Amino acid sequence: MVPPIILNMLSGLGIRLLVFALLVLLVFFLPRMLPGDPVEVFLASDLSRNLTGAESAELRAQFGLAGDWPQQLGVYLWDLIRGDLGYSVPHAAPVSELLKASIPWTLLLITCAAPIFLLAGAAGGIEAGKAPGAFFDRIATGAVTVVASIPPFTSAVLLLLAFGIVWPVLPSGGSEPLFPSSNPIQRDFDIARHAVLPVLALSLHEISRFYFLARGEAITLSQRPFILNACGRGIKGWRLRTAYYGRSLFPVFLARMSDALTGLFGAVLFVEIVFSYPGTGHLIYNAILDRDYVLLQGAVIVMAGLVLLLNWVIDAVATSLARRG
Amino acid sequence: MLGYWSPITQSAGFISRGAIAASAVLVMAGFALSESLPHYKTSPDVLQAPSMAHWLGTNGIGQDVFVGLVRAAPITVFLALITATAALVLALAASSLAAFGGPRIRSAVLRLVDVLQVIPSILLLLLLAAWIQPGFLGLVVLLSLTGWHEDVRVALPILLRELTRENVHFARRMGASRRYCLRHHILPAIWPAIVGLFLQNVRQAALKTAGFGFLGLTDPRLLTWGSMIQDSMDYLYTDAWLWLLLPPAGALSLFLVGILIIGEGYMSNGSLSGKEHHDPR
Repeated sequence: MVPPIILNMLSGLGIRLLVFALLVLLVFFLPRMLPGDPVEVFLASDLSRNLTGAESAELRAQFGLAGDWPQQLGVYLWDLIRGDLGYSVPHAAPVSELLKASIPWTLLLITCAAPIFLLAGAAGGIEAGKAPGAFFDRIATGAVTVVASIPPFTSAVLLLLAFGIVWPVLPSGGSEPLFPSSNPIQRDFDIARHAVLPVLALSLHEISRFYFLARGEAITLSQRPFILNACGRGIKGWRLRTAYYGRSLFPVFLARMSDALTGLFGAVLFVEIVFSYPGTGHLIYNAILDRDYVLLQGAVIVMAGLVLLLNWVIDAVATSLARRG
Repeated sequence: MLGYWSPITQSAGFISRGAIAASAVLVMAGFALSESLPHYKTSPDVLQAPSMAHWLGTNGIGQDVFVGLVRAAPITVFLALITATAALVLALAASSLAAFGGPRIRSAVLRLVDVLQVIPSILLLLLLAAWIQPGFLGLVVLLSLTGWHEDVRVALPILLRELTRENVHFARRMGASRRYCLRHHILPAIWPAIVGLFLQNVRQAALKTAGFGFLGLTDPRLLTWGSMIQDSMDYLYTDAWLWLLLPPAGALSLFLVGILIIGEGYMSNGSLSGKEHHDPR
């Protein structure tokens, strides 16, 4: 008998592979279905000289546009399997290299922000949900409601203004100084300093989601016998909040994480753009501005794969935890 | 936030309906007024600080920020309302199909919802928006097509629960027609949930359209508060952000807070269980 978690993971993997395949096809067909020819668009915007037929055909092959659709699709899929995502002309570098350089920065922001918004959301939510309507609840819920209603890019811009421009204590853009220090400790310190504002902006945006979740759960939990019993036995303070409320919140938080992942990657995009942080969001945005479709396609495929993979793992863990009860 | 704002919105139904009606009137008035408003035109007075001539100053190409703010209001609000309605209609259609269509159709719909759930929609939207530069209609179509599945996960269980209740069985046994049951038993029961979903959709749509405006991916002629925020980005290092950034950002946030507070009235009625704060962004 196969354990249920394996079955569950397999069916989850099936859906995600299907979605990924659909996305790959969409990314392939979308530019071809739209009016206009990528080669001509490229030439019209960047070159004034007329090309000979041979040069144009060569460019066409380089863009993966030689032959008819099935042939093009074959070439495209084969390149994808080999890990060749194409060549970005504006950046003069292979797409895979560009992604390899930018993904760590995005992951750095997310891994630094995740503990902040998870813990702060849980702590605030538990505190508020333990006694709904009390002083703390009214202040905190009001504040979080307002924060939740400021769009992520606006809160990022406001942070940038406050700590980067009006009171310039932190760097306002980039991930490192222009000339990184040769001393590794100094360099790490600089990187950390540059990450503070983006991480803060990202956490601020995600906190409300987990705060409301924790608060709602804590309100329900407060009426459960094991909590009433614990309170009756005089358990309070730190232990009540972590061992009783916190531990019960864990599966719910994980389940929400898998839903929130897409939103998180969306928020990272805005944050990176506002702070000119050299992560994938910034890369994708510049690809859009530069009309660098090869890079855009490659980045979207890779990021979608990454999101699906993470979301698959979190989902499987969450389901097995939820089953445990 | 269960019940947090409820003292304010105690008579939830009344106030929410009032607010929806008021926003509809505002939108209409906005469109009617926009004819009589001064044009949002460029002028040589660039980056003027707020004064009597320009209440909220002017932007980098001399457009009056106050006029822009007022002109963008009906577009932004209307865009959010239409998108939310379209997503809700899609979701309700899918839910009814799943609820009435038998087990095979139901599992197909649920599977589709699962698939949409794991699609990283922001990436997909970026890709599409980069190519088509959606205008008003394009945004409505894109956002409602990628946003309806969340509602099905809330609406379908509620619909199924109401369909199997005793009052419906009893009415059917007494000879009531299906249409009668729908109008007098099922719709009243699921109505608060529908309004709650709608308000949640409005917030989502407003945030997403503002996001696209901010990224500059919408049709450049479409004036929204999001695109006005984007205009201000070039002037962060001067004092002009005071009147370029704060008014549209404040208006957008006020709109979103307002929707959230109205929604609270419905939430505190306790008609949505479990999923109510699904995505408070």
